[in-house]
Amino acid sequence: MTYTFNTFIRRTSRAVTVASLAGTILGSAMTGAAQAQETVVVAVSPLGADSNLYWTTTGAFILPSLQTLVGQDPETGKYDNSQLAESWEHNEDFTSWTFRLHPEARFNDDWGPVTSADVVHSFNLHIGDDAKLSGISNFREIEVTAVDEHTVRFDMPSPEPNFLFSHAGRGSLAIYSKAQFDAEGIEGYETAPAGSGPFKYVGRETGQSITFSTIADHWSGVAPEFDAIEFRWVSEPSTRLAMLSAGEAHAVTLPRDLQDDAVEAGQTVLVSSEGAMQTTMLFTGQFLNPEAEENRDARTYAWADKRIREAMNRALDRDAILEALYGEGVRKLPVYTMDPRFPGYSEELEARFEEAYGYDPERVAELLEEAGYPDNFENPKIPLVVTSLAGNPEFAQMAELVQAYFDVAGIQTEMREQDWATGNTAIRGFSADFVTPMRNAPVRPSALGVQIFFTSEASPHLDVGDPELNRLGAALVAETDPQKRDATLEHMFTRIFDSYAHLPMATVPASVVVNSDLVEGWTFPGSTSSGLSHFELIDLK
Amino acid sequence: MLRYLSLRVASSLFALLIISMIVFSLSQLSGSPVDALLPDDATHEQIENFVREWGLDQPLWKQYLTFLGNAVQGDFGVSLKWPGENAMGFVMDRMSATLKLGGLSILITVLVAMPLGIASAVYKGSMIDKTTQGFALLGQSMPNFWLGIVLIWVFSVWLGWLPTSGMGSIAHLVLPAVAIAWFQISALARLTRSSMLEVLDAEYIKLARVKGASEWAVVFKHALRNAAVVPLTYFGILAASILTGSVVIESVYSYPGMGWVAIEAIRGRDFPVVQAVIIAYAVIYMLSNLFVDLLYVVVNPRIRHG
Repeated sequence: MTYTFNTFIRRTSRAVTVASLAGTILGSAMTGAAQAQETVVVAVSPLGADSNLYWTTTGAFILPSLQTLVGQDPETGKYDNSQLAESWEHNEDFTSWTFRLHPEARFNDDWGPVTSADVVHSFNLHIGDDAKLSGISNFREIEVTAVDEHTVRFDMPSPEPNFLFSHAGRGSLAIYSKAQFDAEGIEGYETAPAGSGPFKYVGRETGQSITFSTIADHWSGVAPEFDAIEFRWVSEPSTRLAMLSAGEAHAVTLPRDLQDDAVEAGQTVLVSSEGAMQTTMLFTGQFLNPEAEENRDARTYAWADKRIREAMNRALDRDAILEALYGEGVRKLPVYTMDPRFPGYSEELEARFEEAYGYDPERVAELLEEAGYPDNFENPKIPLVVTSLAGNPEFAQMAELVQAYFDVAGIQTEMREQDWATGNTAIRGFSADFVTPMRNAPVRPSALGVQIFFTSEASPHLDVGDPELNRLGAALVAETDPQKRDATLEHMFTRIFDSYAHLPMATVPASVVVNSDLVEGWTFPGSTSSGLSHFELIDLK
Repeated sequence: MLRYLSLRVASSLFALLIISMIVFSLSQLSGSPVDALLPDDATHEQIENFVREWGLDQPLWKQYLTFLGNAVQGDFGVSLKWPGENAMGFVMDRMSATLKLGGLSILITVLVAMPLGIASAVYKGSMIDKTTQGFALLGQSMPNFWLGIVLIWVFSVWLGWLPTSGMGSIAHLVLPAVAIAWFQISALARLTRSSMLEVLDAEYIKLARVKGASEWAVVFKHALRNAAVVPLTYFGILAASILTGSVVIESVYSYPGMGWVAIEAIRGRDFPVVQAVIIAYAVIYMLSNLFVDLLYVVVNPRIRHG
């Protein structure tokens, strides 16, 4: 009996010891496993188009496993060689650009080195009939040549001084593996496109999420401090906030009003180091064209009178409006599409802005009286468009605030609720008779932006109808001398500024709200269409 | 019976035709797909190609006939938001997720509403009745998207019991199913209550009591069997309402079923998918109504012979 009891005690003791040891080992292993599987979750609005074939989307989100030729510094936004091109050069008149690829760059999943053949192959995919990318139309006129294994040249019919923007800011060309295409065809890309970035495509749950693992010993030396990143598409902002609060997401995008709630709850708002978007309210129609055609004629609109345009600008207290709309990091914008990062920037206009555009109710009253408003106008009532656009939830509030200030100033308005596409249909059809919010994201180089939004050169439907602006725009397209381009651009911005051709609002940074318990920081320049990039720099606690 | 059935099927098909016209018209009214699907800086050439490719340069009646001809074959084209996906195929793929969510909602609805309705009728005027009535009023007053968000905050954020959103385990189904079921519980409980009250007042129930039948037998054997006809005929409508009612809730919970597809396709101006999903919902509604009508025939011979 004694023997049996002692045996029982001994065996029990041994079993407990073994169990404790096993528990310790298992626990350590599980902790290790948990660490090894640390996944950063980023919840954002669903994409406009959800596909692994980047060129079939409008380009809002470039898979972090894929790379472009040119990169951007996360702090300054300046172009750098952090992506596939080690260096680049252009000829004197900007009609030929040559890129030298990093010789050590490789595709993941053993699809071999990144060569100029991959660039040519990707280029041809991106200009195909199914391409919907913003800015791809210019690419269709370009000839691309693989000079040698790591050198590729782009030849274009007209000067392209802003060609780097197409690769870095806009991201119009993502490099896919030709070897994978040759072996698996387009299905290979649809299933799991091989990229060369520091993340590897893992898979997607249609409509729900897309996941990437990080690559150890990446050729670029970049080493994210987590093991995987998952993007979840969640359309309801309140749900995204709940995900953040419940610790289900590390970072989420939120409209500004919910950002305040998140901050009150102890979360942190991180903003991009550079402006990610410019906003304005555009007068539509060719109101500056003295000889506008009948069907495009905006001469009867109240804003055809410069005094009314000035009054409308001076009726707005931009400080108050921008604080209410955007909060921290926002800057007033003297001229839409002008930006200190790009040529043509005028310090003088920046300095004159308050004097010429500052909130001044007394001057507004004088101007309206001089113009004989409203009795002098067939259409004294000004329709303001209330609309929304992904990434710009503030547009509707902007229209409401602007209307409130106009009401106080005695400028008659009416709110016109319409979706973005309906407004665009009217603008493209030259039947737009309203003032509408507009955004420039990512912020285009000035030379591109000013032509798109104010001249007949790039988007004729947005042309304000000023013969002088159109002349300058045409001259800009042909000009290759940097100093002369700079002077032409400055001239164009001054012309827009002095004629009060729009209601410029702000340069706005991209923002993301992070869980304060999980994320220490994240530096990104806000230079892509979605605003977010440089996911490898997410700094965990 | 056959004539009645034929008439009902014919009227359903006619309604479907009208719905197809409305769907087509609404697609036309809500702005051109050109502006939704092509980039801001699309060239005239790109726009013209797009217009030609999609037949947008054809007269409206011709576009409609093409749409109808393809729709009859289940061909709504290829999704624009989810490139490479067949529009109707994509919607059908998502149907199983919605059926799963809807099935759980129906189960919750029946399991909660029927006992509540019965108890409320049997104990008319009592605290149980008053509580049930209050619950029903509350349920029918609260918008389900609001309730959905409140449930997320209570059970996911504060208590941490359930996931906020997404699809995967059974845990992901609980909150959206409850959010959808809440309104239907209120409706079905009230219906069951009024139906039971009517039956409990009938002569044959009094007779059963006089004959000494137990209260349990009176309620569940005699009364419920007859009273159940009304909630039963409501069941078809309930099923359809729950399936279509998932539109908002699936969006709130990022649950990728048919409702989520509907909202995302509308947001993305994915016209082929919008048209496919509306027609799919319309067919579900038609079948549910047809089912209810047939159920009426079964329980009410006067219709059968009328």
